Parts: sequence; C-alpha cells; structure tokens
Amino acid sequence: MTTRVTLRRTLIACGTLMLALAAAIVIMSLLGSEQLPVRASLCAIFSAGTSPCGLSRDQYDILFQLRLPRILLAAAVGGSLATAGASYQALLRNPLAEPYLLGVSNGAAVGTMIALVFFGAFEWSRPVLAFAGALIATLAVYQLARGRAGATPDRLVLAGVIVTTFLSSVIVFVTTLMDATRIRSFTFWLLGDLSGSTGTLLPLVIAIAILGTLALTLNARSLNLLMLGERDAFDLGVEVGRVRILVFVIASLLVGSSVAASGSVGYVGLVVPHLVRLSLGSDNRISIPAAALGGALFVIVADTVARTVIAPRELPVGAITALIGAPLFIYLLKRV
Amino acid sequence: MSLSPLFNLRRFLILAGALLLAAAFACSPAHTPTEGHASGAQLRDDAGRDVTLPQRVDRIITLAPNLTEIVFAVGAGDRLVGNTTYCDYPPEAKNIAKVGDTLHPSLERIIALKPQVVLISTASQLETFTQQLQNQNIAVFVTDPHDLEGIFRSIEQVGQMMGRQQQANTLVQQLRERTNAVEQAVKQRPPVRVFYQASGEPLYVPGHDSFVTDLIRRAGGTSVTADVPGAWPKFSNESALAARPDAIILPTGGSMGSANSTVVEALRNSPAALAGRVYKINDDLLARPGPRLVDGLEQLARALHPEAFKQ
Repeated sequence: MTTRVTLRRTLIACGTLMLALAAAIVIMSLLGSEQLPVRASLCAIFSAGTSPCGLSRDQYDILFQLRLPRILLAAAVGGSLATAGASYQALLRNPLAEPYLLGVSNGAAVGTMIALVFFGAFEWSRPVLAFAGALIATLAVYQLARGRAGATPDRLVLAGVIVTTFLSSVIVFVTTLMDATRIRSFTFWLLGDLSGSTGTLLPLVIAIAILGTLALTLNARSLNLLMLGERDAFDLGVEVGRVRILVFVIASLLVGSSVAASGSVGYVGLVVPHLVRLSLGSDNRISIPAAALGGALFVIVADTVARTVIAPRELPVGAITALIGAPLFIYLLKRV
Repeated sequence: MSLSPLFNLRRFLILAGALLLAAAFACSPAHTPTEGHASGAQLRDDAGRDVTLPQRVDRIITLAPNLTEIVFAVGAGDRLVGNTTYCDYPPEAKNIAKVGDTLHPSLERIIALKPQVVLISTASQLETFTQQLQNQNIAVFVTDPHDLEGIFRSIEQVGQMMGRQQQANTLVQQLRERTNAVEQAVKQRPPVRVFYQASGEPLYVPGHDSFVTDLIRRAGGTSVTADVPGAWPKFSNESALAARPDAIILPTGGSMGSANSTVVEALRNSPAALAGRVYKINDDLLARPGPRLVDGLEQLARALHPEAFKQ
C-alpha cells in the first residue's frame, strides 16, 4: 500500500472517529444523575463556558466543574490505555499484550501506593512514581520473557502473569500496613473509578495521552515492520532496540498517568485495539491513532453508564468496561 | 485480579458491602433452627434465623466494635473471650484476645477460644463462615439494625442471651429517655436539610436503610440522601451539589483518625459550606450501631439546633 493511500485512509478513519468523539463529549455531558436543561447546556458548552446561557449557578458548576472534567478525564484515560495496548500488541507480536495482563498497570499501582505512603502531600509524586512503577514492571516482564529463542508470545504472557501476581501480593501486603485514611484513598484508585476527578492531574493526563499517541503514531512504520519479526525488521533497517525502549517508555507514561488519575480500568487496552484492527486493518499508522480515539469513546460511554444507570448512586467505571469488554472480547476471539 | 482482598479493606467495605451482604443473608433459608445446643432460649436474629442459645453463655466472641460495646454495656464484658482489632471501647476491650479484624477474622483462633456464641454484623461476615462455626456447635447470632429501635432490640437481645435482661432493659430505658429528650427539644424546630458525608473520595452517604438516616431525622434534620436505595450507597457528586444542603456532617476524628475531615469539592459552594454549617462529629459515635450512638444523636442535634439546647 502506498504511503499516500495510507495517509488518506488514516485521515478519513481518524477524522470520522474525531467527529464521533466530539459528538460523544457533547452528548454525554447532557446526561447525568441531575437533569440539566438541554438547550441552555448546549449553548453554554458551545460558548466554552463564557456564557451561562440561563443555567443556574449550580447547573453551571455541575456541567463545567464536575461533568465535563470527568468526561475529559475518561477520554484521556481511555485513549492512553488503548494506545498503550495497541503498541504493546504490535511490538511484542502478541494479541494478548495488554497493560493489565503484562503487570504494567499493577506496577503503576504500586508506584501510586508508594507515592501515597511516603509523599502523600505532593500530588505530583503520584504520576511520577506510577510511571516509574509501570516502566520497571515492563522491563521486568520483558527480561523475564526473553529466553534463548527471544521473547516468544507464550513466555511473555507467563512472565506477565508472574509479575502481575507478584505485584498484587506487594499491594495486598503494603495495604495491610497502611492506616485507614490511605487505604481508603488507595482502594479508590485500584477500583478503576473516575468520580474523584483530580483537577490538578487532568491537564497532565490529557497532554500525555495526546503526545504519547502522536509519538507512537510517528513510529508506526517501524512497528509495522516489527510485526514481521525482530530479525526481519532489523534487516529492513529498523533500529529494533531504540523502538523497543521508545514504546516501553511512552506506554509506561500513558499507563502511569492513567492509573495515577483513575486506577486500573480494565479491558480497554485489549478490546479497543482488536476492534479497531478488525474494522480498519492492522496497519499501525491507522490502528494506533484510531485506537486512541476509540478508547476515549469507549471509556466516555462506559463512564456515562456508570454514573447514570443507578443514579444518584454510582458504579466504578472499571465494572462497566469489564461488563462490556469481556463478552465483546469473547465474540472477537470466536470471529478471528 | 487481587482486588478482592483489597476491596475488603476496613470500613470501605463495611460501608459499601452492607447491602450486598444483607442480600446474601436474605437468600439464606430463614427460620432454620440451629441444632446441637443444650436447649435454651430461641432468639430470632436480624437475618430472620431462629438461633438456639445455651442456657448460660459463659464464653462469647464479638466480631464488630459496636457488638463489643453492647456486651460491655449490659455488664457481660467479663465473659467476652475474643473480639477484633477494631474493638477499642471501653478500654478493657483492648485487652481481650483478638481474632483478627472485622473483615478477616481467623476461624482457627475463634474455634480455639471455644466460644458458645459468636455475635456478627451482616456488614462484615460471610455465609460460609457462619456455616463452619455452626458445624462446630457454635451459635452464630446476626445483628443488622436499620434504625435506633433496631439497636435497642440488639441490646435487649444480647442482654437476654447473657442473662442480663435487667441491666439491658435499664440501659435501653435510659437511652430511650435521652432520645426522647432530644426529640422533644427539636420538635418545634423546622428540620434542617443535612448532607452526611460518610467518606469523600469516593463519596459514600447513608441511604434509605441506614440507621444514620433515622438518627438524622430524630436529631431534627432531614438527610438529603434519605431516599437513596441501600444502606451506604456510593453517591453522585453532581447530585450532592444539586441537593444544596443547609448543614454538612463529617464523621471524623475517632478511630479513623483525620480521614474524612474535609468537605468534597462538589459541596464547597453549598449553602451549608458558605454559612459555615459544617460539623465534625467523632465517627465512633455515629458509625457504630451501639449504646454510644445516642451520644452521637445528642451531638448531632446540638449541631443542627444549637438554639434548642440553650439553658
């Protein structure tokens, strides 16, 4: 396929998804446990919050301080996790490579926990240590998986299981030593929940989601060649080592910032990239940016369900992504 | 995923899981008499089971701090042979053998202490656990009060099973008098719309089935979350903002330390916060359905209607 055709297909696919995402952000911001006047809300959203358009002060606060930040966080988290999943799957040539299955999410969770225990006063320590935890877990899994025959898919999944269960025990052990205050805040992160909408972290999570996706998309050609096998890719001029480190670091950034803000939201990194590849093909130049947009859409919709279905009560978004994700994944497996 | 042990941590699940476990108990066959005890009194517990108790109970274990407080309050603390690490009141309760915490009691240690009865709260114990104790001929008695009357009944039942009816009845009568005094004092006052923030992140509130909802009503308030199904639902931030409460209660500063000492972001501009009507009350007095809940009721009423208590 020539580059120009690919570019056109990428632009069409991503343009469509971007429109869908923008529409989802607007439509989902009209839904919530409190009913807001639709016309006034739309008017206020399109004025970017500069005019209340007749919304009461409370309604304005609900829309702009609670609902929209949460929707944007959902989009950034969904985009980050799906992009990370898509690039792991390409780099490791493994359809099951996913942040949670590889232990990367748990690594980020351990980092978040260390930040809470030792640097509780500094909110910024959470994403920094979550990133460090994610990267260490990634490298550990990769080193464990590397045998004489290279990192085969089977070894990789096994290594992921080992690292995941080890880190789970670390989490359980340290939480029994934590005091009640920290346990409660930490339990909140682990559940995969967006209700805490951490205002200060939101710009960071959005920036990392966008920049990370762009950086990985720019390396998509190398990832395409890597899907042929590391040796073939090397023969075709891909700096395999450099690409690998790049993907590990960027994916760890994406997973780390997501987990620090919302805990482990499961299934996004698995289901969204597969769905994208089934409908758009496996060219990473298309599937990585499309997965980012699709992941954002998926988590926005899932979180809207989580916060409306039993309103004014709420469910953790992780429960909804798993409820939608698991059957969808089984269906995808059967089809392939 | 290792979420299940984590999810079970401390009060988080005591709050979140109450409804779930109540449902689990509802599914258990009701009115099944337990077998194998020297026939003593039969008492219907809050799970609807008719529990046969020994004539005289010399060894009892409690698996929640409110139950420990009740056993001491009816004067049977000397027969309490085991309790949980959360049981810190009265001070003597700390010196009793610990069988683990409310959510993770050690079955082995319980059996080794040879109790005749184990008192549990539905919020904390599981069906399989109950079955295993019953197989050891240990009676399991469930308490799950949804209002102050239910708590009075728990006290009377514990008194009855420990042969301390007299003391239990006197205690309940005193508690009733104090409760009536509070209700009389606030009767003429317009009810205050109260938001009770059980925890902030995530936001948990007392729902329709919580004894706290009843407590707020008796203290001359109306809980803005009184109609939400369940005992301790996770609540929407935007609904909290839209509720516009006139007073906010933060249970904090007791055995939970400084947790939950700030109002959630969604309520920062509520009429309650703007008027400075945010009240911190020791969570041990509000979160434990035992005799000290009436202390909590008195503090709550004084916070909501200070003018009603001016001498």
